[in-house]
Amino acid sequence: MDSMASRATEPAPSFLSVRDLQVHFPTSDGLVKAVNGLTFDLEAGKTLGIVGESGSGKSVSSLAIMGLHHGTNAQISGEIVLEGTDLLGLTPDEMRQRRGRDVAMIFQDPLSAMHPYYTVGNQIAEAYQVHHDVSRGAAKKRAIEMLDRVGIPNAQQRVDDYPHQFSGGMRQRAMIAMGLINDPGLLIADEPTTALDVTVQAQILDLLQDLQREFNSAIIIITHDLGVVAEMADDVLVMYAGRAVEHGPTNEILVHPEMPYTWGLLSSVPDVTADTDARLIPIPGNPPSLLNPPSGCSFHPRCPHKDKVPGDLCRTTLPDLVPGQRGPGHTKRCHLADPESIYQSEILPEIAPDLVEER
Amino acid sequence: MFAFIVRRVIAGVIMLIVMSLVTFLLFFASPVDPAQFACGKNCSPAIKEQTRKALGYQKPAVEQWKDFMVGIFKGRDYPDDPALRKAAPQLVAHCPAPCFGYSVLNSKTVNEEIKRAFPITLSLAVFALILWLLGGVALGCIAALTKGSFIDRGLVGISLVLYAFPTFFIGLILLKFVSIKWGLWDKPEYTSIADGGVFSWLSNLFLPAVTLAVVFMAAYVRMTRAFVLEAMSEDYIRTANAKGLSKGRVLVKHTLRGALTPIVTMAGLDFAGLLAGAIITEYVFNFNGLGKLVVDANRTYDLPTIIGTVVLAATFVIVANIVVDLLYAVIDPRVRVA
Amino acid sequence: MASFKKRIIAVTAGSLLLSGALAACGSSDDNKGDGGGKSSGASKGGTLFFKVEDPIDHWDPQRTYVGTDISKQSRLVYRELVTFGDSDDPVESAKPIADLATDTGTSEEGGKVWKFTVRDGVKWQDGKPVTCEDVKYGASRNFATDVITGGPSFYVLSYLDIPADADGTPKYKGPYTKVGQDLYDKAVTCEGNTITYRFNKPWPDFPLAIAALHMMSPYRADKDQGDKSNYQIFSNGPYMLEGTWDKASGGTLVRNPEYGNDETDSRKALPDKITFQIGDKQETTYDALFADSGTAKCTVSDNRIPPSMFSQIPGAQDRYQNPESPYVDYLWFNTKKLDLPVRQALATATNREGWINAGGGDRAYIPAYSVVNPTVAGYKENPVYKDIPLAGDPEAAKKILSDAGVKMPYKLDLRYPQSDTADKQAAALKATWDKAGFAVSLSPEGDVYYSNIQKPDHNYDVGWAGWGADWPSPMTVLPPLFDSRANITSGSLGQDYGKYVGKDFNAKISEAQNSTDLDAQISALQAADDILAKDMVYMPLEISKFNWLAGSNVDFHVTPASNSFPDLGLIGLKGSC
Repeated sequence: MDSMASRATEPAPSFLSVRDLQVHFPTSDGLVKAVNGLTFDLEAGKTLGIVGESGSGKSVSSLAIMGLHHGTNAQISGEIVLEGTDLLGLTPDEMRQRRGRDVAMIFQDPLSAMHPYYTVGNQIAEAYQVHHDVSRGAAKKRAIEMLDRVGIPNAQQRVDDYPHQFSGGMRQRAMIAMGLINDPGLLIADEPTTALDVTVQAQILDLLQDLQREFNSAIIIITHDLGVVAEMADDVLVMYAGRAVEHGPTNEILVHPEMPYTWGLLSSVPDVTADTDARLIPIPGNPPSLLNPPSGCSFHPRCPHKDKVPGDLCRTTLPDLVPGQRGPGHTKRCHLADPESIYQSEILPEIAPDLVEER
Repeated sequence: MFAFIVRRVIAGVIMLIVMSLVTFLLFFASPVDPAQFACGKNCSPAIKEQTRKALGYQKPAVEQWKDFMVGIFKGRDYPDDPALRKAAPQLVAHCPAPCFGYSVLNSKTVNEEIKRAFPITLSLAVFALILWLLGGVALGCIAALTKGSFIDRGLVGISLVLYAFPTFFIGLILLKFVSIKWGLWDKPEYTSIADGGVFSWLSNLFLPAVTLAVVFMAAYVRMTRAFVLEAMSEDYIRTANAKGLSKGRVLVKHTLRGALTPIVTMAGLDFAGLLAGAIITEYVFNFNGLGKLVVDANRTYDLPTIIGTVVLAATFVIVANIVVDLLYAVIDPRVRVA
Repeated sequence: MASFKKRIIAVTAGSLLLSGALAACGSSDDNKGDGGGKSSGASKGGTLFFKVEDPIDHWDPQRTYVGTDISKQSRLVYRELVTFGDSDDPVESAKPIADLATDTGTSEEGGKVWKFTVRDGVKWQDGKPVTCEDVKYGASRNFATDVITGGPSFYVLSYLDIPADADGTPKYKGPYTKVGQDLYDKAVTCEGNTITYRFNKPWPDFPLAIAALHMMSPYRADKDQGDKSNYQIFSNGPYMLEGTWDKASGGTLVRNPEYGNDETDSRKALPDKITFQIGDKQETTYDALFADSGTAKCTVSDNRIPPSMFSQIPGAQDRYQNPESPYVDYLWFNTKKLDLPVRQALATATNREGWINAGGGDRAYIPAYSVVNPTVAGYKENPVYKDIPLAGDPEAAKKILSDAGVKMPYKLDLRYPQSDTADKQAAALKATWDKAGFAVSLSPEGDVYYSNIQKPDHNYDVGWAGWGADWPSPMTVLPPLFDSRANITSGSLGQDYGKYVGKDFNAKISEAQNSTDLDAQISALQAADDILAKDMVYMPLEISKFNWLAGSNVDFHVTPASNSFPDLGLIGLKGSC
């Protein structure tokens, strides 16, 4: 693939390297291709934001990295190379031993993600004990340290509280403590702020960044919120219908998006600082069925710009993920010849007229 | 929590009082004359009335109920006629509080009858409970973990079939074939630990306990399977897996604990029901527990015993409900409201 | 149902005319067992197991009215003034023999006074002698009707010469309150060891009555705790209770060391121990008995073999006996509602054969030709009932109806206590009745049946009933069933379910009651039964037969004295289990 070719020129092997990842679920109605040929790299200490609608495959691919599809009927192929080891080649038990130690994950809803019947401390200490041969007391001590570190006041006492006694933000802090207690090289955060109050969201994101610097972890942050991406991510991967449709450095993607779906995402973000002329433009239509994905470009049924492509190309031919006008670091999957000018002339004035004027 | 218990206990006591009154009223509303049944052959009206007096049924129902309530709190002396008690003290049966009554048909106080019968029923219920909980939960987990496989389908199918079997049918098969015809197991005859030691106690309880346990176990297999499957789809199980916990630990510590609440509720109420007497099983195996006491009392229209066992059974159910609620608090910290 | 069965079974008769086939236990085809002889290898020793499904209601002699329980008591633990012997000859058996008394009693004043002398040397289980005062005390207990319930006190209360209160009950109220004690002390007296009973009317067969019912059984005043004594067996017989009796599960009888000589020869007391095991369903008991292994080999029961298990009998013929019972089942007709021709037509079309076959066939029943059982003195087949074909004669019945100008179909209800068997039997009756011009609907009832048919205002047409004599005299059959004066009160029909008021019949009963001579009494009662048949007050159906099976080590006999139940006085073991 082209994208592989472009990456192959880079000198050192990445910390995490995902190659042509496919996650398919056979169902009685047919094969659901939840992730269909996903490829990306992530350096240590860096953050990748994966963006997309529900069902675009972002959570499924992260669970694949965690090895949590084991025991389901998922069919997984491709490569997930972490520090030189292909995770897909490991036995379930070898993968289990890495889980939580080398790769950790925090989830969207911290209330349902924590067991209601055990204390927060118990659950955090358990994550430590499973990978370290230490006493309960030592594990608990470590849990208190971590709770303290993630900013739980009075951690010494709160360690014995149950999840329902924590506020939403504190629960997510506790989840982060649980995720980072084994100092994993990779932390996957699946919509970590979606279920939280807006005021708390920023605190959590700050905390994550803070900790990232301290632990030097790589982070994959999965979100549908481009604001989160703007704040957190070094790179952005936009997913649609199981495929990457645009991939590149965060600044590039946010300022010079080249794929109409990414434009759509940008148009849907409300911006409190923007003036009232700015319009919220939702993406028309519904996410595609993964059982019978549209032919050609998966996005074409919803794409308002497909008439700018000659012939029936959008409907008949799947575009490759290739570098566009902005250089090799920025790839996109779109037939449009000059997306930059369309964006500047048609999209930007609609969603951020103030930016246009400044220019 | 304390206020909660007090409230529940008070509500329970009121319910018991009302129920005992209703039982009295229903008993005397029945078209069958209980005195006729105890009267014997050649029962002339005069003798029938004297029999009624001997049984203690001559007063109006509400009056009898009042006497019963007095007996519960203060105890009672029998026979009811004070002149007779004074003239012939050797006849007097003293029934200390809480007195459930004196059954002329059994020539014993109801308390003595219950004291005799209860250990039998309790032994049976505990043995059965252990069998069906261990078997039901273990098999239910296996079915849930192998969902969709032949093992799962087999377990679910068998438990459906067993669940549809009436208890007396299972009991009769075990008694008639396993015990009498094939001689594989001695015919059970309840032997207390004091009389025959632990082994004899257990081996005699085995067949009746299995009879009881089979039907319950079938229900618990399906219930456990459903609740474990439900718990397995919870987010916190994904979290537990993401920590790298072993399968066994995820199942026992996280999944089962999550599925426990409804199972404990059911088990508590089922157990309370059994304490009131496993009527059919006791009848088939001739175990003289509370269930058989109830059946015999109903057959002979023995009001004091009926009342005593009804109130006792209701007490068990009420207490079990309170205990289950308290267990909730133990199991689920979210219920522990300050 | 079970309770009523017991009331029905409360027959204590010795029998006069147990037909040879059943009494000899050897001449009928299906009865080739070893029961005929008296000695067939049983020896002293061993433990006998006795199975009973429903709890025994009483061990108190004055409260016992169930035939099999009365016979258990007199064979095992309680000696009576007079008792029945071990003979299996019905006529011989019905002659009471001296037991606790030195002879069978002497009567004066034409049967209004009876005297017995209590034998020396008979002891209670605590070593004290059985005295005349004990016998006198026992009889007094009948008068405490609000404590001593369930027994046959009815006879003592109506015969003993004690003045009555305004409500008709005796002025003596029993030994507990001692109200009217002086009146009792005049009616029953002890002079030395001789007890004298004074009656207000002749009681010519008094010895027979007290051999059959234990209302006059001795009782120790210092052991009497009223109802609390019900299961405290205080013995003067060959066995005594070990530990306590548990109503629900039973108890064990062991030898009574104070028991001495017994001249009656009816208490062989062969087993060392008799363990009563209560509560097993009769199906369970007979499953074990047919399988015949372990303790079942030493087991016997007084529950009958369930008809569903009759097919297994041929494989166990040598352990099986099939005697006739002392009961008769019959249909009563509502004489206030149905006219005589209607009753006659019903009787004529009654299919006794169909009823019997639906109820288990000839192992279960033989046809009856009178409400009086053949074991009762003076029994004769009533020609009216003998002449009706066993399968009924619907044609003849229809003719009776049309001759009488009865409009057909004649609608009526058949009432009976519900059971699966009874439903089938009732259907057999309906079939021929319908053919005869009736339109019968079947109306089974539950436990309420027995109180409903006693209600004076019931509007029932035809119903089922059963009866057995209290002792082998028709005096304990016809008057209690059909004498309107003794039965019908404002609150109850007694046993006169068909509301029959027969002037001629009542006159014959009075004649029988006043006769001092047994033969005269019996012929008056035979005439009375003829009147009943002429008035078509009842239709006899059948006499039930007992089906007994014992373990292979048990040597058992049925005698008239044991009411055709296994006789515990004669039973023995041929080996241990």
